[in-house]
Amino acid sequence: MSKIKLSKISKTYKAGLFKKKVRALTDLSLSVDAGTVYGLIGPNGAGKSTTIRLLLNLSRPDRGTVRIDALPVHESLGAIGYLPENPYLYDHLTLKELLFFAGRATGLATSDIRQLMEHLTATVGLDHVRGKSLRTFSKGMRQRAGLCFALLHDPSLVILDEPMSGLDPLGRKMVCDLILSLKKQGKTIFFCSHILSDIERLCDRIAVLHQGQMVREFTPDEITELRQGKMDLETEFIDVVERNEVHA
Amino acid sequence: MRTLGYRCLWFFLALAILVPLYAYFQSNLWSQRAEAREYLEAGYVVPSQFSRILACGYKGLLSDYQFLRILTFYGSRFAEQQQMVDEDWDYFVASIDVITDLDPYFIDPYVLTEGLLTWDAGRIEDANRLLLKGAVANENNWRLWYYLGFNSFYFMKDYVGGAEYLMIASRVPGSPDYLKTLSSRLAFYGGKTKTALLFLKGMLADTDDALLEKRLKTRLLALEGAVLIEEALVQFRDQQGHLPGSLNELVSSGYLHELPVEPYGGDWLFNKDARVFSTSKFTHR
Amino acid sequence: MIGRIWALALVTFKEGLRDRSLYGIFLFALFVLGLNVLVAGFFMRDLGKVTVDMNLSALSFAGLLLVFFIGINLMAKDIDKKTIHLVLSKPFSRGEYIWGKFTGLVMFVGATQLVLLVFSSATVAVVRWMYPNFFAGFSWGIFITAVFFVFLQHVLLCAIVVFFSSLTSSSFISLIFSLASYIVGITLEEVVFYLRTPTANEEVAGAEFLQRSLEVVTWLVPNFAAFDFKLEAAHGLALEFSHLGVTFGYACLYIMLLLILASVIFSRREFN
Repeated sequence: MSKIKLSKISKTYKAGLFKKKVRALTDLSLSVDAGTVYGLIGPNGAGKSTTIRLLLNLSRPDRGTVRIDALPVHESLGAIGYLPENPYLYDHLTLKELLFFAGRATGLATSDIRQLMEHLTATVGLDHVRGKSLRTFSKGMRQRAGLCFALLHDPSLVILDEPMSGLDPLGRKMVCDLILSLKKQGKTIFFCSHILSDIERLCDRIAVLHQGQMVREFTPDEITELRQGKMDLETEFIDVVERNEVHA
Repeated sequence: MRTLGYRCLWFFLALAILVPLYAYFQSNLWSQRAEAREYLEAGYVVPSQFSRILACGYKGLLSDYQFLRILTFYGSRFAEQQQMVDEDWDYFVASIDVITDLDPYFIDPYVLTEGLLTWDAGRIEDANRLLLKGAVANENNWRLWYYLGFNSFYFMKDYVGGAEYLMIASRVPGSPDYLKTLSSRLAFYGGKTKTALLFLKGMLADTDDALLEKRLKTRLLALEGAVLIEEALVQFRDQQGHLPGSLNELVSSGYLHELPVEPYGGDWLFNKDARVFSTSKFTHR
Repeated sequence: MIGRIWALALVTFKEGLRDRSLYGIFLFALFVLGLNVLVAGFFMRDLGKVTVDMNLSALSFAGLLLVFFIGINLMAKDIDKKTIHLVLSKPFSRGEYIWGKFTGLVMFVGATQLVLLVFSSATVAVVRWMYPNFFAGFSWGIFITAVFFVFLQHVLLCAIVVFFSSLTSSSFISLIFSLASYIVGITLEEVVFYLRTPTANEEVAGAEFLQRSLEVVTWLVPNFAAFDFKLEAAHGLALEFSHLGVTFGYACLYIMLLLILASVIFSRREFN
C-alpha cells in the first residue's frame, strides 16, 4: 500500500510581490510504499523543499493531488513527523517545554509525554540538557532537538529535510542509526539530502529531481548494485542531471 | 468537500450573527461617545514641563494636537450653546500655556487668546501674560505687541504701558504706518468704544479661524451699534442740552433712523456720560 | 482543539515572559511609578488626580511597549524565521494557530499588566497615605475598572497584531501597520468630532467628503479613545454600567470578527 502518493503535481509560485512566477514542480508523480526509506536527491532549486511543503500542507499544488494514507494532507498531519533543514525552535523555551508542546499539540497524555520525552532525549543524547533553554544549544544539538520534536508522537511517516546538515561524524552516525531503527519499527521515511553516501546506505528507493521533474528513479536492484560498487551514485546523478539540462 | 461545505456554512453563520451585532455595538459606541462629549469636562492639561518630555521629540506635533483639542473644545461649547464656565477658562489658559511652551513660535494660539480671553472671559491679566510670552519669543511680530498695547489701553486703562507696547510694535519692520500715530489716538479715546472698534477691525483682518472670526464679527456689529447710538446721544445732548429720557426718543426725534440690532439679544442701555451698554453685556447667553 | 490552542498559547506565553526586553519595560514602568511618588508633592491640590493619571498612563504605555516590542515578535517571528513550519507540521488547523497565538498574547499582556497593577496600586496607596487629604474623589473600584479597560485596549491591539501578522511574513511590516492602526484609532475620535463642528465645515476644504471617508474608517479601525477612562478614574466620576457594557461588547465583537477574518486569510496562505 502506498503511504505517499503524488499525482501529476504542478506548482508555480511568486518569488516576490512584483517578481516573475517561478515554476517549481511540473507534472510530478511519485508514490512511496509504506515501510520504505525514500530518498529524494537533486541540485539546489530542483523542487525538493517544495515537495516537502506540499506534503505538510504548507502550500498547495496548482494542479494534481497529494494523498497520505489515501487522505488529503490536512487530515493526515497527525501521522507526520517533520524535521526542517535549519530548525528554528522557540529560543526561550527549554527542551522539555518544547517537547511537552509537541506532545500536547498531538493530543498525548501528560504521563505519556514524560515517558516518551525521557526515552527520546536519551536516544539522541540530549538527556542532560532537557532543562536548558534552546538558545544555548549548538547547531547539532538543535538538529537533534528538532528530531525529538518531530518523533515524539510516534508518527508513521517521518519527513526529514537535510537531517545530516551541520552534524559532526558522531551526530551523523546517530541519525543514521535512528533512521535504521525507525525503519525497523515499520515507519515510512521520506528524506532529502545532499550527502549521497548516506542516501545510498539508507534508502530503499532513490529519486532524482531536476527542474521540478523526476528524471530518474532507482529500482531496488539498481540500489543493490550501487551498494556493491558496480554503479556509482555520484556519477549517475551528475550524468542524469547534465543529460536533462541539454533537453531543457 | 463535505467538510469544506460545512466550514463555509459555519463561517457565514458566524458572520451573519457577528456582523449585525458589531454594527449595533459600533453605532452605539459612537453615539455614546458623541453624548459623552457634550458633557465634556474641561480636561486636564499635563503641565508643560512634563508634556515636553512626554512628547518625545514631537513637541510641535503635540502642540498642534493640543491646539486642535482646545479649538474643538470651545467649538463644541459654542455649538451646544453652553457657557464657558470658570473651569473651562482655566483649562483654556492652561492649554494655551502648554501649547506656547511646546512651540512658542506658534502664533495662532496667541490670536485665539486675544480673541477670546479678553472680551469673553475678561481675563486680561492672563491674556497679557500669554501675549507677552509670545511677543518676547516673536519679537518681530508687531501684532502681539499691538494686542498687548490695546489690552493695556482699553481694558486695563494703563496708558503708559500701552503706549510703550505700541511703540515697540511700530518699530517692528513691516508694521503698518498707522501704528505710529495710534498711540496718541488711543490715548485720546482711552477706554471709549471707538477704540475697540478700530482694534476689532484690525484683528478681523488677521484672523483665519472661522469661529473666532464669527465671534469677532458679532462683537464688531455690537460695537458699531453702540458707537452709532453714542454719536446720536452726543449730537442730541449738544443740540438739546440734555440726554434723552430713553433711546426711543432718539428715533422719534430723528437723531437715529432706527435702533441698531443688538446681536447678543440684550437691550441697549446708556449712562449719564453717554456711554452705551447692553443688558447682554455683549456675551452669548 | 481546545487542547492544541491551549498548548500553543502556553508556549507563546512562556516565550513572551522570557523575553529580556520585558525587564526593560518593567524598569521603565517602575521608574514612572517611583517618579510619581516623588513629584506628587509638587502639586498643590489635584494630587490624587495627578497620581491616578500618571499610574494609568504608565500602565497603558508599558502595555503598548509590551505589545509592540514583544507581542509582535511572538507571532511575526514565527513566520519570519519559519518556526511556523514546525508548528504547522503538527495537526494544527490554521484557525487554531491564530486563536492559540492570540490567547497566548492576551495571557502574556494580562499577566504583565497584573504585575504592574500590583505595583501601581502600591504607589497609589503610598501617595494616598502620604497625602490623605487630597484623595477625596478616589475610588478603587473605578481605578480598577479603568485599568481593565486599558487592558481591553491592549487585547484589541493584540488582535490587530495577529491580524497583520497573518497577512505578511515580515515582522517589521506588521509592526508598522499595527502602530499605524493604533495611532489612527486613538486620534480618530478627536478628528471625527472636530469635523462635525460647524467651524470645520467652513474651514476645512472638503470637510464633508473627509467626514464621509472617516465614517468608513470608523467601521474598520477601532475607536481606541473609547477605552480611555483615565479622566473618570482621576476624578472618581461614577461610570455608567451601560456605557461600560457597550464598550466591552464593542471590543469583543471587533476582536472576534478580526480573528475570524485573520483565520480565513491565514488558511489560504502558503508558506515558502
